[in-house]
Amino acid sequence: MPDTPINTEDDKLVIAVPKGRILKELRPLMTRAGLEPEADFDDPASRKLQFATNVPGVSIIRVRSFDVATFVAFGAAQIGVAGNDVLMEFDYPEVYAPLDLEISDCHIAVAEPAELSSTDDPSRWSHVRVATKYPNITRRYFAARGVQAECIHLNGAMELAPGLGLCRRIVDLVSSGDTLRANGLVEIERVVEVTSRLAVNRAALKTRSEEITGWIDRFREAVNAA
Amino acid sequence: MNETSHIGLLPNGLADTLNPDAAWESDSIEGLMAAFAAFGYDRIKPPLVEFEESLLDGPGQAIGSDMFRLMDPVTQRMMGVRPDITPQIARIAVTRLANAPRPLRLSYGGQVLKVRASQMRNERQFTQIGVELIGAPELAADAEVVTLAWRSLSDLGVKGISIDLNLPTLVPTVCAGLGMTEADAEQARLALDRKDAAAVAEFGAGIGEGIGDLLGQMLSAAGPADKALAKLQALDLPDQAKAEVQNLAQAVDLIQAAAPGLSLTVDATEFRGLEYQSGICFTIYSRGVRGELGRGGRYVLSSRETATGFSLFGDSLMRALPAAKKPQKVFLPYGTTVSEADAVRAQGHATLQGFVNETDANAEARRLDCSHIFINGQVRETN
Repeated sequence: MPDTPINTEDDKLVIAVPKGRILKELRPLMTRAGLEPEADFDDPASRKLQFATNVPGVSIIRVRSFDVATFVAFGAAQIGVAGNDVLMEFDYPEVYAPLDLEISDCHIAVAEPAELSSTDDPSRWSHVRVATKYPNITRRYFAARGVQAECIHLNGAMELAPGLGLCRRIVDLVSSGDTLRANGLVEIERVVEVTSRLAVNRAALKTRSEEITGWIDRFREAVNAA
Repeated sequence: MNETSHIGLLPNGLADTLNPDAAWESDSIEGLMAAFAAFGYDRIKPPLVEFEESLLDGPGQAIGSDMFRLMDPVTQRMMGVRPDITPQIARIAVTRLANAPRPLRLSYGGQVLKVRASQMRNERQFTQIGVELIGAPELAADAEVVTLAWRSLSDLGVKGISIDLNLPTLVPTVCAGLGMTEADAEQARLALDRKDAAAVAEFGAGIGEGIGDLLGQMLSAAGPADKALAKLQALDLPDQAKAEVQNLAQAVDLIQAAAPGLSLTVDATEFRGLEYQSGICFTIYSRGVRGELGRGGRYVLSSRETATGFSLFGDSLMRALPAAKKPQKVFLPYGTTVSEADAVRAQGHATLQGFVNETDANAEARRLDCSHIFINGQVRETN
């Protein structure tokens, strides 16, 4: 058989949280939900990746936001926190998003250089070339209006692409719009609103129903109390 | 690495199953087939390949994109390699077994091949094992197949079985009862399917007063069967939807009575992969095993007869079972006579005959992975 059953740590519960921007806003929610990680979690100098918590059997892992979806999809973590941008990009059928945490409000947008946008007419496009870290969302979005999207997959600093001639347009996450402005870009279309969601693994929700539902409820109360 | 290494590479999603796993898998499958037979299900065996249009008939409507196709050079007709055995059983039930008495109980086990693997289950070829119960509209029939799935798997040694009951007809019924358009109903299903509470609320708000709330409550009416049913029954649903929930509640009662100790959950908004189902459906999980062990439910044959049943997936099943044990073998040193060898096998041992006169029979037995050796007319452990 290609791999062995993952039966060994049956009763452990792993919660995957993303590093960086989302974590800052998530941290108070965790406290309100009664989930307190060990001290190392809040120490930026710590090299640990997995942290014990005040709840026996529950640990937290800190990974890149795109990896949260993957850990949850494959059941390596039963619960995770990820933006719906990440969930939409992977569109894993094994991931449920039962709760909007209402944090990290932003959106995905199409942007292009200011001088191009003055003459551009997006309704005439049959093909568009964009730099993005969301190739799947981008393709689906443009395909829905009959435009074929050619995506150049970058992992960051998309805003550089138009200026350096990689392509003229980008599809990226926008919160304040400062980065776009600083790079001479303007937003021309809004693709989707983004907030962070509590994501759960489908099989875990079915086989550990009470436990996982319990955590969803605790986070729901924490969101409502905010 | 040697000169033959490169021929070991197999296409994606295909694998050699070696010893001792291959024997363990076939033993396990035979165990399941025996359990099905004990409940009166008769085994049938359709072919690996058949004409494309017969595979896509009735319950096969959803499998077109999964199917490898090949042209029959003789008839010049398109054939498909079965990605699912259920449509074949359905075809047999409405053709060759059309006159067999109903309810008709059939079982099957065989290999299937899919164009694409799923995310959780990397295999493109795997064993599908299952039963179909044709021509029995009663809730007792739904309960029988769920109970049989649980009984056969737990008798085989699968631990932590959990069965999730779904009612894929409920959301469309509710949407129709609320007077939604087809397009809106589709949107509602998509949002509910992803358990995306935010999308459900947003969608509901755009449709009408209270709809977001109702759909949101349906979404949260999932979990352990008793609790989820109580929540569903408390909802202000259209009459026809209420009747469907009532049916589900009766089925749950029947299953709980027949399968005490089974962890049963209910999720009435689950829809993915259940588009062609016509009533109560279920998915079988084993705690700690990724992906599902199998799924089943009610559907309609091309003869308009109703049927229910389930399929188990051999790859997931093997992940849910304890690891295969190495078989014990007895080494028969060179010169052991045929009658001695027969006597050892008659005691129930598997034997392995030496072909050359060993200098150290015991070492030779160990080299060949034999746990025992036949020495001086006796079977002893190797040392």
